[in-house]
Amino acid sequence: MKKENVSTDTALIIPVYNEGKVIRRVVSLALKRYKYVICVNDGSKDNSLEEIWAMGGGVHCIDHPINMGQGAALQTGIEYARVLPVKYFCTFDADGQHRFEDVAAMVEEIKKTKCDIVLGSRFRGKAVNMPHSKKIMLKLAVWFTNRTTGLKLTDTHNGLRVFNRKVAEELQITLPDMAHASEILEIVAAKKYRYSEIPVTIEYTAYSKSKGQSMINAINIGFDTLLRRITR
Amino acid sequence: MTSIIQIIIIIFAIIIALVTLGSRSTHSGKAWKKVALVLLAVGMIIVVLFPDITNQLAHLVGVGRGADLLLYATIVSFILYALNNYLYQQDQRNTLHRLARKLALMEASQTNDSRKNSR
Repeated sequence: MKKENVSTDTALIIPVYNEGKVIRRVVSLALKRYKYVICVNDGSKDNSLEEIWAMGGGVHCIDHPINMGQGAALQTGIEYARVLPVKYFCTFDADGQHRFEDVAAMVEEIKKTKCDIVLGSRFRGKAVNMPHSKKIMLKLAVWFTNRTTGLKLTDTHNGLRVFNRKVAEELQITLPDMAHASEILEIVAAKKYRYSEIPVTIEYTAYSKSKGQSMINAINIGFDTLLRRITR
Repeated sequence: MTSIIQIIIIIFAIIIALVTLGSRSTHSGKAWKKVALVLLAVGMIIVVLFPDITNQLAHLVGVGRGADLLLYATIVSFILYALNNYLYQQDQRNTLHRLARKLALMEASQTNDSRKNSR
């Protein structure tokens, strides 16, 4: 491991829920590139926590006492990372479908453009082996989220995001489950953050497909989004 | 001519009113709920004693029968109740999550420090 290649200005935040089979590989790859790797174990029922501990002291590990959902895990990771001496924060999925090359490109982009948040888009980039049903669902989600937030994005439910300290300090994700993706974009719109979207590659493996959220959950998300608009 | 059902419902309404007024809570949101529940109890007694009132009310708003009007009112109040309950649960969940997060962060700052020191 060459030390000079390890980036110290970006914290990688990885929410982990029942990823015992793959988490060690993802974390070891992450640690080769980033000094600050934060795993938030979201009450996994498998050996995820032990797998993270087994990586040694290099990885920062936070253990939710109960399962609270991916959005809640991200919020915890972000709050933990706020005290670290980093400039940028990256949210990264634990199932290995994201590429570290894309993270590097996104950090370059945020440095170059000085925007507040850089979002990854699989529809500008590549989505390898994406199931058709997933594609249709995501396209619908993009249309719906663009309508409700007023943003212009091509991929609204991508787990890969890089943002600066201002966003990290202000972000307050309250929706615990997958609806947090829409919620983050609502915050981006409300706070008028400068955003940029760049192509990323997402590789669907048999593993990540089996972990993907169920389609019916999209109805929950849509309902919650509408209810939030009414009650706020 | 009082029937058994009238007596049962009147007793039930009085119990609702007493329990509501008896609960000691100084929360202002709860005060509105108290007022609403007591009004409901009073309404129940009036309607039970003078059933024709529901028919007259129904005709007033263009519904055929008083029983139908009562059914509609029940449905509406049930939906409101369910929605209120849903929002309340979300509030509770957020509180629980904030608590659990604080705990996890406190624990993490301790254990991650000790792991680094022990290396």
